[in-house]
Amino acid sequence: MAKLTIPAQELMYPGHAACPGCGPALAMRLLLKGLGPRTLVSIPACCWTVIATPYPTTALRVGVLDNAIEATGASISGMRAAADALGLKDVNIVGFAGDGGTADIGLQALSGMLERRTNAIYVMYDNEAYMNTGIQRSGATPWGAWTTTTPVSPSLRGKPEPKKDIMGIVLAHRPTYAATLNPSFPEDFDRKVEHARDLTGPRFFHVFTPCPPGWRFDSAETIALGRLATDSGVFPLYEVEEGRLRITRKTGQLKPVSDYLSAQGRFRHLTPDDVARIQAQVTEDWERLLRREREEIVRSH
Amino acid sequence: MIEIRFHGRGGQGGVVASELLAQAAFLDGKIPQSFPFFGVERRGAPVTAYSRIDDRPIALRTSITAPHVVVVLDPGLLATERVTDGLKPGGLLLVNTTHAPETLAAPGGVRRAAVDATHIALAHGLGTAMLPIVNTAVLGALARATEVVSLEALSRAVEQFVPARPEENRLAARDGYLGVRTVDGTAGPSVPLPTSPRVAGPSLPEGPMASLSSERIHTAAWRTFTPVIHLDRCTKCNFCWKFCPDDAIEFDAVGFPKLRLEYCKGCGICAAECPPKTIEMVAEV
Repeated sequence: MAKLTIPAQELMYPGHAACPGCGPALAMRLLLKGLGPRTLVSIPACCWTVIATPYPTTALRVGVLDNAIEATGASISGMRAAADALGLKDVNIVGFAGDGGTADIGLQALSGMLERRTNAIYVMYDNEAYMNTGIQRSGATPWGAWTTTTPVSPSLRGKPEPKKDIMGIVLAHRPTYAATLNPSFPEDFDRKVEHARDLTGPRFFHVFTPCPPGWRFDSAETIALGRLATDSGVFPLYEVEEGRLRITRKTGQLKPVSDYLSAQGRFRHLTPDDVARIQAQVTEDWERLLRREREEIVRSH
Repeated sequence: MIEIRFHGRGGQGGVVASELLAQAAFLDGKIPQSFPFFGVERRGAPVTAYSRIDDRPIALRTSITAPHVVVVLDPGLLATERVTDGLKPGGLLLVNTTHAPETLAAPGGVRRAAVDATHIALAHGLGTAMLPIVNTAVLGALARATEVVSLEALSRAVEQFVPARPEENRLAARDGYLGVRTVDGTAGPSVPLPTSPRVAGPSLPEGPMASLSSERIHTAAWRTFTPVIHLDRCTKCNFCWKFCPDDAIEFDAVGFPKLRLEYCKGCGICAAECPPKTIEMVAEV
Protein backbone atom coordinates (compact mmCIF):
# COMPACT_ATOMS: atom_id res chain seq x y z
CA MET A 1 0.00 0.00 0.00
CA ALA A 2 1.23 3.44 -0.84
CA LYS A 3 2.13 5.56 2.15
CA LEU A 4 -0.87 7.43 3.53
CA THR A 5 -0.57 11.20 3.19
CA ILE A 6 -3.09 11.90 5.97
CA PRO A 7 -3.57 10.10 9.31
CA ALA A 8 -5.10 6.62 9.15
CA GLN A 9 -7.24 6.99 12.26
CA GLU A 10 -10.99 7.35 11.71
CA LEU A 11 -12.84 9.25 14.42
CA MET A 12 -16.00 9.82 12.39
CA TYR A 13 -18.20 6.74 12.13
CA PRO A 14 -20.00 5.81 8.93
CA GLY A 15 -23.78 5.55 9.05
CA HIS A 16 -24.14 9.29 9.61
CA ALA A 17 -26.99 11.21 8.01
CA ALA A 18 -25.14 13.53 5.60
CA CYS A 19 -26.29 13.80 1.99
CA PRO A 20 -24.30 11.84 -0.63
CA GLY A 21 -21.17 13.81 -1.57
CA CYS A 22 -21.42 16.07 1.50
CA GLY A 23 -18.52 18.54 1.82
CA PRO A 24 -19.09 19.17 5.57
CA ALA A 25 -18.98 15.39 6.24
CA LEU A 26 -15.55 15.10 4.63
CA ALA A 27 -14.40 18.23 6.48
CA MET A 28 -15.31 16.65 9.83
CA ARG A 29 -13.60 13.39 8.91
CA LEU A 30 -10.36 15.17 7.96
CA LEU A 31 -10.50 17.51 10.98
CA LEU A 32 -10.76 14.66 13.49
CA LYS A 33 -7.99 12.71 11.76
CA GLY A 34 -5.67 15.64 12.45
CA LEU A 35 -6.90 16.40 15.98
CA GLY A 36 -6.98 12.86 17.35
CA PRO A 37 -9.15 11.24 20.01
CA ARG A 38 -8.49 13.69 22.85
CA THR A 39 -11.00 16.13 21.42
CA LEU A 40 -14.34 17.53 22.58
CA VAL A 41 -16.59 19.11 19.97
CA SER A 42 -19.39 21.61 20.45
CA ILE A 43 -21.94 21.58 17.62
CA PRO A 44 -24.74 24.13 17.37
CA ALA A 45 -27.88 23.84 15.26
CA CYS A 46 -26.57 23.21 11.74
CA CYS A 47 -26.40 20.36 9.23
CA TRP A 48 -23.96 18.56 11.48
CA THR A 49 -26.44 18.36 14.40
CA VAL A 50 -28.62 16.24 12.17
CA ILE A 51 -25.72 14.39 10.56
CA ALA A 52 -24.13 13.35 13.83
CA THR A 53 -26.89 12.59 16.24
CA PRO A 54 -30.03 10.76 15.16
CA TYR A 55 -30.99 9.67 18.69
CA PRO A 56 -29.61 7.54 20.31
CA THR A 57 -26.59 7.32 18.01
CA THR A 58 -23.55 9.48 17.43
CA ALA A 59 -21.36 9.61 14.36
CA LEU A 60 -18.36 10.92 16.30
CA ARG A 61 -15.90 8.88 18.31
CA VAL A 62 -15.20 11.96 20.46
CA GLY A 63 -17.37 13.79 22.97
CA VAL A 64 -20.03 16.09 21.54
CA LEU A 65 -21.89 18.95 23.18
CA ASP A 66 -25.06 19.83 21.33
CA ASN A 67 -25.82 23.53 21.75
CA ALA A 68 -27.91 26.43 20.50
CA ILE A 69 -27.13 28.09 17.18
CA GLU A 70 -25.88 31.40 18.64
CA ALA A 71 -23.81 29.79 21.41
CA THR A 72 -20.82 27.99 19.87
CA GLY A 73 -18.21 30.56 20.89
CA ALA A 74 -19.57 30.86 24.43
CA SER A 75 -19.88 27.09 24.76
CA ILE A 76 -16.24 26.42 23.93
CA SER A 77 -15.11 29.10 26.38
CA GLY A 78 -17.15 27.23 29.01
CA MET A 79 -15.84 23.84 27.95
CA ARG A 80 -12.25 25.06 28.27
CA ALA A 81 -12.99 26.50 31.71
CA ALA A 82 -14.56 23.19 32.72
CA ALA A 83 -11.62 21.19 31.37
CA ASP A 84 -9.22 23.41 33.29
CA ALA A 85 -11.30 23.07 36.48
CA LEU A 86 -11.29 19.27 36.09
CA GLY A 87 -7.57 19.26 35.42
CA LEU A 88 -8.02 17.75 31.94
CA LYS A 89 -4.73 18.11 30.09
CA ASP A 90 -3.95 17.85 26.40
CA VAL A 91 -7.55 18.06 25.27
CA ASN A 92 -8.62 19.88 22.12
CA ILE A 93 -11.72 22.02 22.63
CA VAL A 94 -13.40 22.55 19.26
CA GLY A 95 -16.46 24.45 18.08
CA PHE A 96 -17.82 23.20 14.77
CA ALA A 97 -20.47 25.49 13.30
CA GLY A 98 -21.93 26.39 9.94
CA ASP A 99 -21.65 29.73 8.19
CA GLY A 100 -25.07 30.92 9.38
CA GLY A 101 -24.31 29.91 12.97
CA THR A 102 -20.94 31.67 12.77
CA ALA A 103 -21.00 34.69 10.48
CA ASP A 104 -24.61 35.64 11.30
CA ILE A 105 -26.31 34.21 14.38
CA GLY A 106 -23.22 33.20 16.38
CA LEU A 107 -21.06 36.22 15.55
CA GLN A 108 -21.13 37.84 18.99
CA ALA A 109 -20.26 34.55 20.72
CA LEU A 110 -17.40 34.00 18.27
CA SER A 111 -16.13 37.53 18.87
CA GLY A 112 -16.37 37.03 22.63
CA MET A 113 -14.46 33.75 22.51
CA LEU A 114 -11.70 35.32 20.39
CA GLU A 115 -11.53 38.42 22.61
CA ARG A 116 -11.37 36.31 25.78
CA ARG A 117 -8.43 34.51 24.15
CA THR A 118 -10.13 31.16 24.81
CA ASN A 119 -7.70 28.30 24.22
CA ALA A 120 -9.85 26.54 21.62
CA ILE A 121 -10.32 25.92 17.92
CA TYR A 122 -13.37 27.40 16.19
CA VAL A 123 -14.25 25.80 12.85
CA MET A 124 -16.68 27.48 10.48
CA TYR A 125 -17.67 25.02 7.76
CA ASP A 126 -18.96 27.19 4.97
CA ASN A 127 -21.64 25.77 2.68
CA GLU A 128 -22.71 29.34 1.94
CA ALA A 129 -26.35 29.21 3.08
CA TYR A 130 -28.67 27.79 5.75
CA MET A 131 -28.65 24.35 4.15
CA ASN A 132 -30.12 22.30 7.00
CA THR A 133 -33.38 24.23 6.86
CA GLY A 134 -33.64 24.31 3.08
CA ILE A 135 -31.11 26.59 1.35
CA GLN A 136 -31.94 30.03 2.80
CA ARG A 137 -29.34 32.75 2.14
CA SER A 138 -26.84 33.59 4.87
CA GLY A 139 -24.29 36.35 5.29
CA ALA A 140 -21.80 33.94 3.72
CA THR A 141 -23.83 33.36 0.56
CA PRO A 142 -21.90 34.89 -2.36
CA TRP A 143 -23.22 37.66 -4.58
CA GLY A 144 -25.52 36.45 -7.34
CA ALA A 145 -26.14 32.97 -5.87
CA TRP A 146 -29.62 31.52 -6.08
CA THR A 147 -31.12 30.39 -2.77
CA THR A 148 -34.74 29.80 -1.79
CA THR A 149 -34.83 33.26 -0.22
CA THR A 150 -32.87 34.96 -3.02
CA PRO A 151 -34.76 33.48 -5.97
CA VAL A 152 -34.23 34.27 -9.62
CA SER A 153 -37.23 36.33 -10.71
CA PRO A 154 -37.94 39.44 -12.79
CA SER A 155 -37.11 41.61 -9.74
CA LEU A 156 -34.20 39.62 -8.25
CA ARG A 157 -31.30 37.65 -9.75
CA GLY A 158 -29.92 35.73 -6.80
CA LYS A 159 -28.37 37.37 -3.75
CA PRO A 160 -27.89 41.11 -4.25
CA GLU A 161 -25.30 41.51 -1.47
CA PRO A 162 -21.69 40.26 -1.40
CA LYS A 163 -20.32 37.53 0.89
CA LYS A 164 -19.36 38.55 4.41
CA ASP A 165 -15.59 38.54 4.99
CA ILE A 166 -15.44 36.27 8.05
CA MET A 167 -11.65 35.94 7.91
CA GLY A 168 -11.36 39.74 8.01
CA ILE A 169 -13.62 39.84 11.08
CA VAL A 170 -11.68 37.07 12.81
CA LEU A 171 -8.26 38.53 11.97
CA ALA A 172 -9.33 41.87 13.46
CA HIS A 173 -9.33 40.00 16.80
CA ARG A 174 -5.68 38.99 16.26
CA PRO A 175 -6.10 35.27 16.98
CA THR A 176 -3.17 32.95 17.61
CA TYR A 177 -3.77 31.26 14.29
CA ALA A 178 -6.35 31.47 11.50
CA ALA A 179 -6.43 29.59 8.23
CA THR A 180 -8.61 28.71 5.26
CA LEU A 181 -9.01 24.97 4.64
CA ASN A 182 -10.46 23.00 1.75
CA PRO A 183 -11.12 19.21 1.88
CA SER A 184 -10.17 18.99 -1.79
CA PHE A 185 -6.58 19.48 -0.57
CA PRO A 186 -6.41 16.92 2.29
CA GLU A 187 -2.65 17.23 2.88
CA ASP A 188 -2.79 21.03 3.25
CA PHE A 189 -5.93 20.60 5.38
CA ASP A 190 -4.23 18.10 7.69
CA ARG A 191 -1.01 20.08 8.02
CA LYS A 192 -2.94 23.16 9.19
CA VAL A 193 -5.04 21.14 11.63
CA GLU A 194 -2.02 19.42 13.17
CA HIS A 195 -0.12 22.71 13.36
CA ALA A 196 -2.99 24.56 15.02
CA ARG A 197 -3.62 21.63 17.39
CA ASP A 198 -0.23 22.20 19.01
CA LEU A 199 -0.67 25.95 19.49
CA THR A 200 -2.30 27.65 22.48
CA GLY A 201 -4.92 30.38 22.31
CA PRO A 202 -7.85 31.15 20.01
CA ARG A 203 -7.58 29.47 16.63
CA PHE A 204 -9.98 29.68 13.68
CA PHE A 205 -10.53 27.62 10.53
CA HIS A 206 -12.64 28.81 7.63
CA VAL A 207 -13.44 25.56 5.78
CA PHE A 208 -14.84 25.47 2.26
CA THR A 209 -17.53 22.77 2.06
CA PRO A 210 -19.48 22.32 -1.20
CA CYS A 211 -23.14 21.28 -0.84
CA PRO A 212 -24.46 19.26 -3.82
CA PRO A 213 -28.21 19.81 -3.19
CA GLY A 214 -27.82 23.46 -2.18
CA TRP A 215 -25.41 24.51 -4.90
CA ARG A 216 -27.06 22.35 -7.53
CA PHE A 217 -24.28 20.09 -8.77
CA ASP A 218 -23.74 16.34 -9.02
CA SER A 219 -22.57 14.71 -5.78
CA ALA A 220 -19.58 13.12 -7.55
CA GLU A 221 -18.16 16.60 -8.30
CA THR A 222 -17.66 17.80 -4.70
CA ILE A 223 -13.87 17.42 -4.74
CA ALA A 224 -13.41 18.75 -8.27
CA LEU A 225 -15.54 21.80 -7.48
CA GLY A 226 -13.56 22.51 -4.31
CA ARG A 227 -10.35 22.34 -6.32
CA LEU A 228 -11.77 24.82 -8.83
CA ALA A 229 -12.78 27.21 -6.03
CA THR A 230 -9.21 27.46 -4.81
CA ASP A 231 -7.49 27.41 -8.18
CA SER A 232 -9.78 30.15 -9.53
CA GLY A 233 -9.04 32.36 -6.50
CA VAL A 234 -12.64 32.22 -5.22
CA PHE A 235 -11.43 30.44 -2.06
CA PRO A 236 -7.66 30.95 -1.69
CA LEU A 237 -5.78 28.82 0.82
CA TYR A 238 -3.73 30.76 3.35
CA GLU A 239 -2.85 30.93 7.02
CA VAL A 240 -2.13 33.77 9.41
CA GLU A 241 0.09 33.24 12.44
CA GLU A 242 1.69 35.89 14.62
CA GLY A 243 0.31 38.43 12.17
CA ARG A 244 2.16 36.89 9.20
CA LEU A 245 0.05 35.83 6.23
CA ARG A 246 1.21 32.97 4.06
CA ILE A 247 -0.58 31.66 0.98
CA THR A 248 -0.35 27.85 1.04
CA ARG A 249 -1.36 27.10 -2.54
CA LYS A 250 -0.29 29.06 -5.60
CA THR A 251 -0.59 27.72 -9.11
CA GLY A 252 0.95 30.61 -11.03
CA GLN A 253 -2.08 31.46 -13.09
CA LEU A 254 -5.61 31.56 -11.64
CA LYS A 255 -8.28 29.67 -13.55
CA PRO A 256 -11.20 31.79 -14.80
CA VAL A 257 -14.03 32.04 -12.25
CA SER A 258 -16.44 31.10 -15.03
CA ASP A 259 -15.09 27.51 -14.75
CA TYR A 260 -16.17 27.48 -11.11
CA LEU A 261 -19.49 29.29 -11.58
CA SER A 262 -20.70 27.33 -14.60
CA ALA A 263 -20.29 24.04 -12.70
CA GLN A 264 -23.16 24.99 -10.34
CA GLY A 265 -26.88 25.41 -10.90
CA ARG A 266 -27.11 28.20 -8.32
CA PHE A 267 -25.19 30.50 -10.72
CA ARG A 268 -26.89 29.33 -13.93
CA HIS A 269 -28.78 32.62 -14.42
CA LEU A 270 -25.65 34.84 -14.35
CA THR A 271 -25.05 37.00 -17.43
CA PRO A 272 -21.58 37.53 -18.95
CA ASP A 273 -21.58 40.95 -17.23
CA ASP A 274 -22.31 39.31 -13.88
CA VAL A 275 -19.46 36.85 -14.39
CA ALA A 276 -17.11 39.70 -15.37
CA ARG A 277 -18.07 41.54 -12.19
CA ILE A 278 -17.31 38.49 -10.04
CA GLN A 279 -14.04 37.91 -11.92
CA ALA A 280 -12.96 41.52 -11.25
CA GLN A 281 -13.70 41.15 -7.52
CA VAL A 282 -11.88 37.80 -7.25
CA THR A 283 -8.81 39.15 -9.08
CA GLU A 284 -8.74 42.23 -6.87
CA ASP A 285 -9.04 40.16 -3.68
CA TRP A 286 -6.29 37.78 -4.83
CA GLU A 287 -3.93 40.65 -5.58
CA ARG A 288 -4.66 42.16 -2.16
CA LEU A 289 -3.83 38.79 -0.60
CA LEU A 290 -0.52 38.65 -2.49
CA ARG A 291 0.31 42.17 -1.27
CA ARG A 292 -0.55 41.25 2.31
CA GLU A 293 1.67 38.22 2.12
CA ARG A 294 4.58 40.50 1.30
CA GLU A 295 4.10 42.82 4.25
CA GLU A 296 4.01 42.18 7.96
CA ILE A 297 0.57 42.96 9.32
CA VAL A 298 -0.37 43.85 12.88
CA ARG A 299 1.28 41.39 15.23
CA SER A 300 -0.68 39.01 17.41
CA HIS A 301 -0.74 39.42 21.15
CA MET B 1 -61.87 8.27 4.71
CA ILE B 2 -58.97 6.84 2.76
CA GLU B 3 -55.46 6.97 4.20
CA ILE B 4 -52.44 6.77 1.91
CA ARG B 5 -48.76 6.50 2.85
CA PHE B 6 -45.93 7.35 0.43
CA HIS B 7 -42.42 5.91 0.73
CA GLY B 8 -39.74 7.54 -1.38
CA ARG B 9 -36.28 9.02 -1.27
CA GLY B 10 -35.33 12.62 -0.64
CA GLY B 11 -35.34 14.42 -3.99
CA GLN B 12 -37.62 11.92 -5.72
CA GLY B 13 -40.80 13.88 -5.18
CA GLY B 14 -42.61 11.80 -2.55
CA VAL B 15 -43.66 14.80 -0.48
CA VAL B 16 -44.82 16.67 -3.57
CA ALA B 17 -46.72 13.53 -4.63
CA SER B 18 -48.77 13.56 -1.42
CA GLU B 19 -49.48 17.28 -1.92
CA LEU B 20 -50.45 16.88 -5.56
CA LEU B 21 -52.76 14.03 -4.68
CA ALA B 22 -54.44 16.25 -2.09
CA GLN B 23 -54.79 19.11 -4.62
CA ALA B 24 -56.31 16.72 -7.15
CA ALA B 25 -58.75 15.37 -4.56
CA PHE B 26 -59.76 18.93 -3.71
CA LEU B 27 -60.45 19.64 -7.38
CA ASP B 28 -62.64 16.53 -7.33
CA GLY B 29 -64.68 18.11 -4.52
CA LYS B 30 -63.19 16.05 -1.71
CA ILE B 31 -61.59 17.22 1.54
CA PRO B 32 -57.92 16.26 1.54
CA GLN B 33 -54.98 16.41 3.92
CA SER B 34 -51.29 16.03 3.16
CA PHE B 35 -48.11 16.25 5.21
CA PRO B 36 -44.62 14.74 5.31
CA PHE B 37 -42.92 12.89 8.15
CA PHE B 38 -40.18 15.15 9.44
CA GLY B 39 -37.18 12.89 9.75
CA VAL B 40 -33.78 12.99 8.15
CA GLU B 41 -34.49 15.00 5.03
CA ARG B 42 -31.56 14.24 2.81
CA ARG B 43 -31.20 13.65 -0.88
CA GLY B 44 -31.44 9.89 -1.34
CA ALA B 45 -32.55 9.15 2.21
CA PRO B 46 -35.84 7.29 2.78
CA VAL B 47 -38.72 9.75 3.35
CA THR B 48 -42.37 9.20 4.22
CA ALA B 49 -45.39 11.37 3.40
CA TYR B 50 -49.10 11.00 4.08
CA SER B 51 -52.42 11.87 2.46
CA ARG B 52 -55.98 11.56 3.77
CA ILE B 53 -59.03 11.98 1.56
CA ASP B 54 -62.62 12.20 2.79
CA ASP B 55 -66.02 13.67 1.88
CA ARG B 56 -66.14 15.49 5.22
CA PRO B 57 -63.67 17.70 7.11
CA ILE B 58 -60.88 15.60 8.66
CA ALA B 59 -60.19 16.22 12.34
CA LEU B 60 -57.41 13.64 12.60
CA ARG B 61 -53.90 15.15 12.59
CA THR B 62 -51.73 12.12 13.37
CA SER B 63 -49.34 10.28 11.09
CA ILE B 64 -50.78 7.24 9.31
CA THR B 65 -49.90 3.87 10.83
CA ALA B 66 -52.67 1.73 9.27
CA PRO B 67 -53.03 2.94 5.69
CA HIS B 68 -55.47 1.69 3.06
CA VAL B 69 -52.86 2.34 0.38
CA VAL B 70 -49.07 2.25 0.42
CA VAL B 71 -47.20 3.84 -2.48
CA VAL B 72 -43.50 3.02 -2.95
CA LEU B 73 -41.64 5.35 -5.29
CA ASP B 74 -38.38 3.39 -5.26
CA PRO B 75 -38.24 -0.43 -5.39
CA GLY B 76 -34.95 -0.41 -3.43
CA LEU B 77 -36.92 0.60 -0.36
CA LEU B 78 -38.72 -2.77 -0.33
CA ALA B 79 -35.51 -4.38 0.92
CA THR B 80 -34.72 -1.86 3.64
CA GLU B 81 -37.94 -0.24 4.86
CA ARG B 82 -40.95 -1.94 6.40
CA VAL B 83 -43.24 -0.33 3.85
CA THR B 84 -46.22 -2.64 4.37
CA ASP B 85 -46.36 -2.15 8.15
CA GLY B 86 -49.99 -1.67 9.16
CA LEU B 87 -51.35 -1.96 5.61
CA LYS B 88 -55.05 -2.84 5.94
CA PRO B 89 -56.50 -6.13 4.59
CA GLY B 90 -58.22 -5.31 1.31
CA GLY B 91 -55.79 -2.44 0.84
CA LEU B 92 -53.37 -1.79 -1.99
CA LEU B 93 -49.60 -1.81 -2.37
CA LEU B 94 -48.45 0.22 -5.40
CA VAL B 95 -44.77 0.02 -6.33
CA ASN B 96 -42.67 1.75 -8.96
CA THR B 97 -40.88 -1.30 -10.37
CA THR B 98 -39.97 -3.01 -13.62
CA HIS B 99 -41.24 -6.30 -12.18
CA ALA B 100 -44.74 -7.73 -12.48
CA PRO B 101 -47.17 -7.05 -9.62
CA GLU B 102 -47.40 -10.82 -8.94
CA THR B 103 -43.80 -10.74 -7.64
CA LEU B 104 -44.53 -8.12 -4.98
CA ALA B 105 -44.57 -9.33 -1.41
CA ALA B 106 -47.55 -8.09 0.59
CA PRO B 107 -49.67 -9.27 3.52
CA GLY B 108 -52.57 -11.58 2.63
CA GLY B 109 -55.61 -9.95 1.08
CA VAL B 110 -53.70 -6.90 -0.12
CA ARG B 111 -54.02 -6.00 -3.79
CA ARG B 112 -50.72 -5.30 -5.54
CA ALA B 113 -50.02 -2.89 -8.37
CA ALA B 114 -46.85 -2.21 -10.36
CA VAL B 115 -45.90 0.62 -12.68
CA ASP B 116 -42.55 1.33 -14.35
CA ALA B 117 -42.57 4.99 -13.35
CA THR B 118 -38.79 5.37 -13.67
CA HIS B 119 -38.98 4.48 -17.35
CA ILE B 120 -41.94 6.85 -17.85
CA ALA B 121 -40.20 9.71 -16.01
CA LEU B 122 -36.97 9.37 -17.99
CA ALA B 123 -38.92 9.10 -21.26
CA HIS B 124 -40.41 12.52 -20.47
CA GLY B 125 -37.07 13.97 -19.33
CA LEU B 126 -38.08 14.24 -15.66
CA GLY B 127 -35.02 14.10 -13.39
CA THR B 128 -31.82 12.20 -14.14
CA ALA B 129 -30.91 8.51 -14.33
CA MET B 130 -29.35 8.99 -10.88
CA LEU B 131 -32.49 10.57 -9.49
CA PRO B 132 -35.59 10.24 -11.72
CA ILE B 133 -38.56 12.29 -10.56
CA VAL B 134 -41.25 9.64 -10.64
CA ASN B 135 -44.01 11.21 -8.58
CA THR B 136 -46.43 12.22 -11.33
CA ALA B 137 -46.17 8.86 -13.14
CA VAL B 138 -46.84 7.07 -9.86
CA LEU B 139 -49.83 9.32 -9.14
CA GLY B 140 -51.30 8.46 -12.54
CA ALA B 141 -50.99 4.79 -11.61
CA LEU B 142 -52.54 5.48 -8.21
CA ALA B 143 -55.53 7.23 -9.82
CA ARG B 144 -56.20 4.15 -11.97
CA ALA B 145 -55.56 1.52 -9.30
CA THR B 146 -57.60 3.17 -6.51
CA GLU B 147 -59.93 5.68 -8.17
CA VAL B 148 -59.35 8.00 -5.19
CA VAL B 149 -58.96 10.81 -7.71
CA SER B 150 -59.85 11.15 -11.37
CA LEU B 151 -57.15 11.45 -14.02
CA GLU B 152 -58.78 14.73 -15.08
CA ALA B 153 -58.41 16.25 -11.61
CA LEU B 154 -54.86 14.93 -11.35
CA SER B 155 -53.94 16.48 -14.72
CA ARG B 156 -55.40 19.83 -13.63
CA ALA B 157 -53.53 19.66 -10.31
CA VAL B 158 -50.29 18.97 -12.17
CA GLU B 159 -50.88 21.91 -14.52
CA GLN B 160 -51.64 24.26 -11.64
CA PHE B 161 -49.13 23.22 -9.02
CA VAL B 162 -46.09 21.61 -10.64
CA PRO B 163 -43.59 24.46 -11.09
CA ALA B 164 -41.30 22.82 -13.67
CA ARG B 165 -42.29 20.99 -16.87
CA PRO B 166 -46.05 20.79 -16.22
CA GLU B 167 -46.76 19.36 -19.68
CA GLU B 168 -44.19 16.55 -19.37
CA ASN B 169 -45.50 15.79 -15.89
CA ARG B 170 -49.10 15.66 -17.14
CA LEU B 171 -48.05 13.18 -19.84
CA ALA B 172 -46.13 11.13 -17.28
CA ALA B 173 -49.28 10.96 -15.11
CA ARG B 174 -51.27 9.80 -18.14
CA ASP B 175 -48.66 7.14 -19.00
CA GLY B 176 -48.64 5.96 -15.39
CA TYR B 177 -52.44 5.72 -15.53
CA LEU B 178 -52.26 3.65 -18.70
CA GLY B 179 -49.25 1.56 -17.67
CA VAL B 180 -50.19 0.30 -14.20
CA ARG B 181 -51.01 -3.39 -13.69
CA THR B 182 -52.96 -4.61 -10.69
CA VAL B 183 -53.48 -8.12 -9.28
CA ASP B 184 -55.69 -9.21 -6.39
CA GLY B 185 -54.43 -10.28 -3.02
CA THR B 186 -54.92 -14.03 -3.23
CA ALA B 187 -51.58 -15.41 -4.42
CA GLY B 188 -48.62 -13.35 -3.35
CA PRO B 189 -45.31 -14.35 -1.86
CA SER B 190 -45.23 -14.00 1.89
CA VAL B 191 -43.71 -10.85 3.28
CA PRO B 192 -40.06 -11.08 4.24
CA LEU B 193 -39.72 -8.28 6.75
CA PRO B 194 -36.38 -6.57 6.21
CA THR B 195 -34.08 -6.24 9.15
CA SER B 196 -34.90 -2.68 9.94
CA PRO B 197 -32.02 -0.24 10.26
CA ARG B 198 -34.25 1.73 12.62
CA VAL B 199 -32.87 1.89 16.13
CA ALA B 200 -35.07 1.40 19.15
CA GLY B 201 -33.85 3.93 21.66
CA PRO B 202 -33.62 3.30 25.38
CA SER B 203 -35.50 5.61 27.71
CA LEU B 204 -33.66 8.85 28.42
CA PRO B 205 -30.44 8.08 30.28
CA GLU B 206 -28.80 10.19 32.93
CA GLY B 207 -25.42 10.00 31.21
CA PRO B 208 -24.61 10.88 27.63
CA MET B 209 -27.69 11.23 25.43
CA ALA B 210 -26.26 9.40 22.45
CA SER B 211 -23.80 6.67 23.25
CA LEU B 212 -24.37 4.22 20.40
CA SER B 213 -22.25 4.36 17.26
CA SER B 214 -23.93 5.42 14.04
CA GLU B 215 -22.25 2.37 12.49
CA ARG B 216 -25.43 0.47 13.32
CA ILE B 217 -27.31 2.63 10.81
CA HIS B 218 -26.79 1.24 7.34
CA THR B 219 -27.16 3.96 4.73
CA ALA B 220 -26.91 1.64 1.73
CA ALA B 221 -30.64 2.19 1.11
CA TRP B 222 -29.87 5.73 -0.07
CA ARG B 223 -27.86 4.45 -2.99
CA THR B 224 -29.07 4.32 -6.59
CA PHE B 225 -25.61 3.68 -8.11
CA THR B 226 -22.94 1.37 -6.66
CA PRO B 227 -19.19 1.81 -7.11
CA VAL B 228 -17.38 -1.24 -8.52
CA ILE B 229 -13.57 -1.21 -8.20
CA HIS B 230 -11.61 -2.97 -10.97
CA LEU B 231 -8.61 -3.96 -8.90
CA ASP B 232 -6.53 -5.08 -11.91
CA ARG B 233 -5.94 -1.42 -12.74
CA CYS B 234 -5.81 -0.10 -9.15
CA THR B 235 -2.53 1.60 -8.23
CA LYS B 236 -3.30 1.69 -4.47
CA CYS B 237 -3.06 5.49 -4.52
CA ASN B 238 -5.69 5.80 -1.71
CA PHE B 239 -7.52 8.70 -3.39
CA CYS B 240 -10.88 6.89 -3.07
CA TRP B 241 -10.29 6.41 0.66
CA LYS B 242 -9.00 9.93 1.19
CA PHE B 243 -12.01 11.68 -0.34
CA CYS B 244 -14.87 9.45 0.88
CA PRO B 245 -17.27 11.56 2.99
CA ASP B 246 -18.90 8.42 4.39
CA ASP B 247 -15.83 6.51 5.60
CA ALA B 248 -17.13 3.71 3.36
CA ILE B 249 -13.74 2.57 2.05
CA GLU B 250 -11.17 0.53 3.94
CA PHE B 251 -8.13 -1.49 2.88
CA ASP B 252 -7.70 -5.24 2.54
CA ALA B 253 -4.66 -7.13 3.82
CA VAL B 254 -2.52 -6.22 0.81
CA GLY B 255 -3.58 -2.58 0.62
CA PHE B 256 -6.29 -2.65 -2.04
CA PRO B 257 -9.34 -0.50 -1.33
CA LYS B 258 -12.39 -2.40 -0.13
CA LEU B 259 -15.91 -0.97 -0.14
CA ARG B 260 -18.07 -0.99 2.97
CA LEU B 261 -21.22 -1.22 0.90
CA GLU B 262 -23.54 -1.13 3.89
CA TYR B 263 -22.52 2.53 4.32
CA CYS B 264 -21.82 3.72 0.76
CA LYS B 265 -24.45 6.24 -0.37
CA GLY B 266 -23.30 6.09 -3.99
CA CYS B 267 -22.19 9.72 -4.26
CA GLY B 268 -19.66 8.82 -6.97
CA ILE B 269 -16.75 10.88 -5.57
CA CYS B 270 -14.41 7.84 -5.55
CA ALA B 271 -15.14 7.14 -9.23
CA ALA B 272 -14.67 10.80 -10.18
CA GLU B 273 -11.40 11.17 -8.26
CA CYS B 274 -9.74 7.81 -9.07
CA PRO B 275 -6.67 8.80 -11.16
CA PRO B 276 -6.53 5.61 -13.31
CA LYS B 277 -10.36 5.53 -13.51
CA THR B 278 -10.70 2.02 -12.11
CA ILE B 279 -14.00 2.69 -10.35
CA GLU B 280 -17.26 2.38 -12.21
CA MET B 281 -20.68 3.49 -10.95
CA VAL B 282 -23.21 0.77 -11.74
CA ALA B 283 -26.98 1.31 -11.49
CA GLU B 284 -28.69 -0.65 -8.71
CA VAL B 285 -31.43 -2.95 -9.96
